[in-house]
Amino acid sequence: MKRLLTILALCGIASLLHASEMELEKVTVGTDVQTVGRGAEAVMNDCHSCHSMKYIRYRDLVNFGMDRQKVDGWRGDLSLDAPLLAQMPESDAAQAYGKAPPDLSLMTKAREGGVRYVYSYLLGYYLTPEGMPGNHYFPETKMPDVLGISGVTEGAQRTELQGKARDIVSFLAWSADPHEQERHRLGYYVIAYLLVLTVLLYLVKNQVWSGLK
Amino acid sequence: MPQRIIKWPAGVIKWIDQRFPLTSFVKHELTGYPTPRNLSYWWNFGFLAGFVLVLQVATGIFLAMHYKADIALSFDSIQHIMRDVNYGWLLRYMHSTGASAFFLVIYIHMARTLYYGSYRAPRELLWWTGQGLLLLLMATAFMGYLLPWGQMSFWGATVITNLFRATPFVGDQVVIWLRGDYTVGDATLTRFFALHYLMPFLIIGAVVVHLVALHSVKSSNPSGINLADKDNIPFHPYFTAKDFYGLGVFLIVYSVFVFFMPDSLIEPANNIPANPMQTPNHIVPEWYFLPFYAILRSVPNMVGGVVAMGLSVMVFAFMPYLDRSRIPGGAHFRPMYRVLFYVFLADMAVLGYVGYIPPTETSILAGQIATLIYFTLFLQLPFVSKAEERWLIKRGLPPELEALIASEAHEKTKRGKR
Repeated sequence: MKRLLTILALCGIASLLHASEMELEKVTVGTDVQTVGRGAEAVMNDCHSCHSMKYIRYRDLVNFGMDRQKVDGWRGDLSLDAPLLAQMPESDAAQAYGKAPPDLSLMTKAREGGVRYVYSYLLGYYLTPEGMPGNHYFPETKMPDVLGISGVTEGAQRTELQGKARDIVSFLAWSADPHEQERHRLGYYVIAYLLVLTVLLYLVKNQVWSGLK
Repeated sequence: MPQRIIKWPAGVIKWIDQRFPLTSFVKHELTGYPTPRNLSYWWNFGFLAGFVLVLQVATGIFLAMHYKADIALSFDSIQHIMRDVNYGWLLRYMHSTGASAFFLVIYIHMARTLYYGSYRAPRELLWWTGQGLLLLLMATAFMGYLLPWGQMSFWGATVITNLFRATPFVGDQVVIWLRGDYTVGDATLTRFFALHYLMPFLIIGAVVVHLVALHSVKSSNPSGINLADKDNIPFHPYFTAKDFYGLGVFLIVYSVFVFFMPDSLIEPANNIPANPMQTPNHIVPEWYFLPFYAILRSVPNMVGGVVAMGLSVMVFAFMPYLDRSRIPGGAHFRPMYRVLFYVFLADMAVLGYVGYIPPTETSILAGQIATLIYFTLFLQLPFVSKAEERWLIKRGLPPELEALIASEAHEKTKRGKR
């Protein structure tokens, strides 16, 4: 146990050290239908033309509680059971950007830093003195500044874009782990049950051992 | 016509007992099995390891019903399990967390053995069967890690199978033979899946051998000597009650990970499908292999690294001969050994950390020093343990220990007279 704790502590220190290279922005994702729905809309408008989300089907969006008419608008003639494939064929995107844009279904789980990384990355665009766009968190990125944050100087507009980025990562977090809410709900019951059971088992153990001379 | 009625259950059990030693087996090996009454909670972990093994087999069989061992399908099939299969996410997280839980439990079980000197005569074979189980467990975990076909799966398997190049004369052929191809690919995945399904059953067989050895020499105990008969109590109800309480505590910790932080044990890079054309920034094994991985990396020469890593895992088997002290009670009555034990734990932590971070000049040096300490700890033991024994006897053993040794000698002569 001690060994695990030490390793965990050291890993904690290690991750702090790594993070200090470029501090990730803090963000708390929303799990409600409104936030995730707004995020879905933003992704369909700004990301979906190049990025696929192949592990999500249109039906999953409806089942989660998003507006059926909106989903129908997004899917067009496609079946409800069709996955969210990118509008641009992968080969075209690969030609345009040098490499195929990655699938986004697992994006918040597939990067060190998770949602915080994706959020920071989306807001991490800036303009170099020469007027070229750059990104603080992923300098080699081929993705254009889709939110348009690099040109923004005004505080109110910046806040608005931060809200939009939060919606997007909320949707991505949901699509990476759609059963998270259910898992947490079940987890509370399981652990509460185990706590009661363990207390009882402890009392049983004491009862049994008290008979020993 | 008079009918012979077999009464349930007494008659049925009698019928069986005439043909199979059911009652006597249960009495001797389960309920009545004599167990030292002074066992602490550190003796719970063998039972816990058995429990986790059953958990892994049970969840694994159900996962195998939905998993597809094919490089074009396996990553997708994991997502299918996580998203579409009823409670598939629960099965998969129980299994992936269970792997870590298995190693945690086994490492504590081993640390207890080292601390209390449970490996000493007459328990050498018990310890060695345990060593064999550790190797089987490591092999099983390693092969299982390839199955999700993520980036870390692929590159981990590539790095580790590549180590077999160190085999003298036939290294290259051995690597190809293991992979079934020139690189890790579909042939590797299918054979790893087959073996990952097979090996748990070998482990179950080895556990039976481990238990037969245990029941022949009986449990060690914190005092380090064989207790008098009056100090042994039946396994049931005393240790069933104690083990089940320990199981409850274990399950709470396990559930916190399964339900609230299951991804903390999965590398982010493994959520990216395997890509043989793109090496991840830095390849790390699972936490339970980190100290050994650090030892591998600490030796500049590949063959040397592989030998050092192999030795670092196998060196535990030599403990019954490296530790020459006859003072009972493990580290409890042995101040020097106790210090060495904690140095060992700290050294493992340092090695684990060095294995985790990307290699830098400082970390490589730290790893080399830690590796040196690791092997020195084992190599100096024959001399230090003997010196410690002499020093302790000269200084005078603590009275409680004298009393223990006297009572053991007394019991022995009594048994001898009988």
